Amino acid sequence: MRESVPKALAAVTGISVLTAVYLIFVWVPTEATMGIVQRIFYFHVASAAVSFLGFFIGGIAAIRFLNNRCNSLDDLSVAANEVGLVFAVVNLVTGCLWAKPIWGVYWAWDHRLTSMLILALIYIAYLILRESISEPGQRAVVCAVVSIFGMVDVPIVYMANRWWRTQHPAPVLGGEGSLDPRMAFVLYFTMFALAMLFWCLVRMRRGLEALRRETDALRREAHALT
Amino acid sequence: MEIEVLKNLKWLWAAFSVAWALHIGYVWSLSGRERKLRSELEDIRSLLREHNKSED
Repeated sequence: MRESVPKALAAVTGISVLTAVYLIFVWVPTEATMGIVQRIFYFHVASAAVSFLGFFIGGIAAIRFLNNRCNSLDDLSVAANEVGLVFAVVNLVTGCLWAKPIWGVYWAWDHRLTSMLILALIYIAYLILRESISEPGQRAVVCAVVSIFGMVDVPIVYMANRWWRTQHPAPVLGGEGSLDPRMAFVLYFTMFALAMLFWCLVRMRRGLEALRRETDALRREAHALT
Repeated sequence: MEIEVLKNLKWLWAAFSVAWALHIGYVWSLSGRERKLRSELEDIRSLLREHNKSED
């Protein structure tokens, strides 16, 4: 698995993540209203952005897979979706832990939070489905369709606090909210660092999927012989 | 004021700890799955080798 992540990529990722942690905890100014707990924002928003990136990569790879049935695209799709789900769960959990001191509750059933939860549940269902279908060709096609369906939900989550009144704050990027330039810099840098981490994890997961494919093929060969 | 900062620090600490625990747990699960697949692959290969030998 280690060989699927080149040393240079691992080094850049490690340095970026450590720099992001330094910027979040030491460099960026403390927000006036919420205080120190607002620093969760950088990880929370960046994790959401990276999960959306993952679901888009997974969905586009799935569309391309349905066009040309290339196995490496199926590998990329499952890897991007699974790693995207990890970031979506990080987003949901950090959101709950930020909501508690600010709203007084861990969770509110508003459109933004609920649509993000549904998105995560779609990809959990995707992974369960993937494990439950044993025939590789059928598994790849069915999962590609679910992956495209999940990707369609991403813009709904993104637009939820623009389309409906929500308890979730107004969008700070591309919305009406304004952000201190230093805070914006830290947010974009954290997004970059987490995107690098995402890519390392995707490469590891792709390697695993290729190994699984090889094992499946040999297992079928052994089964035919015995 | 200081108590308020410390109270909020607890939430900040919890959020970052959980985020990293999830990432580390995921990498751990990937390496576990890889170990399992490699040992399965080795078992199947040795089974096939034995089968080929017996045919020869």
